[in-house]
Amino acid sequence: MAAGGALIMTVVLRLARRRLLSTRYAIGWLAVGAMVALAAGIMPFVGRIGKLANMSPTAVLLAMSSVLLLVISVQLSISVSQLQERLRTTAEAHALLARRLDEVERRAE
Amino acid sequence: MPNDPLVVIPAFNEQDCIGEVVREVTAAGHDCLVVDDGSTDHTLAVARATGVPVLALPINLGVGGALRAGFRYAVDHGYSIVVQVDADGQHVASHVDELIAALADDGAHLDMVVGSRFSGGSDYDISRVRRWCIRLLSWVIARSGHVALTDPTSGFRAIRSPLLDAFAADFPHHYLGDTFEAILVSARRGYRIGEVPVVMRPRQGGRPSADVMALGQAMARACTILLTGTTFDLPSRAPVDDPPASADRS
Repeated sequence: MAAGGALIMTVVLRLARRRLLSTRYAIGWLAVGAMVALAAGIMPFVGRIGKLANMSPTAVLLAMSSVLLLVISVQLSISVSQLQERLRTTAEAHALLARRLDEVERRAE
Repeated sequence: MPNDPLVVIPAFNEQDCIGEVVREVTAAGHDCLVVDDGSTDHTLAVARATGVPVLALPINLGVGGALRAGFRYAVDHGYSIVVQVDADGQHVASHVDELIAALADDGAHLDMVVGSRFSGGSDYDISRVRRWCIRLLSWVIARSGHVALTDPTSGFRAIRSPLLDAFAADFPHHYLGDTFEAILVSARRGYRIGEVPVVMRPRQGGRPSADVMALGQAMARACTILLTGTTFDLPSRAPVDDPPASADRS
């Protein structure tokens, strides 16, 4: 568990340093790695929650990680929607500017 | 220029039809703008060769995206009326004047006029399924927008300021968003919408705009719009002094 968490954090840091992952998302994924590592430390605690909810410790961990993954996917969907809208606005502005440039060039000739 | 309408023609891979459509519109004496929606064929070259202004979108944005770019161009250049005409040759340029005349009717104060295939005159051939889909969309618009329109998926429309300025700022770009959703939301925000019977030619190629899948999508959108109010940004219509003409409101 702890090793897995450390592995995630190392990979994320590497990606961030090679600029494949922006700082914004790197922080989120680092937190995921940290939580995985932390989960190793709180296994006894997880076991107790499991007993309260009548679930095995593995099920508790799985449930926790699915919630986490869900949050991350929703966040990514929001980002993609925003990017789509920005891309659209930029494409329109690009077309309008290209048209004006055309006109200016034609007038200059 | 400000009092003339601008005919906006969104075009995506319409190299065979676009030239003729532009010639027809300019021959009728209207200013014309082609918005090439990232076509992968020779649409852009054909449109440029006609000599009318052309906006070339670098990527395909869909009809709604192309239209918003056209609306922005119109607003930037001082036009207060835009007529949207399809590039596939379905729409007959001689009807453009009728749409504008309906907008100019002072009694009605219309903000948008839709060219309808079904309100009398034309016997446009269409499958029974599509016909019922369109009827269902009309029913939704009549119930929640209180406007009687027989052809809410028609892409043949005239739009006037201030609705035009609002559309230039924000306009839906997903499938059927540019027709059905735009009409539904405009009606609910108090804009006045009328319709004019038009004859449309059979489409030369491409796909019909309404099938069962599209209907499902449109109904899902209608539900989210009506239940949660999530849609594009459209300010409510400022009240007009005169009472609206009863013929256009049901």
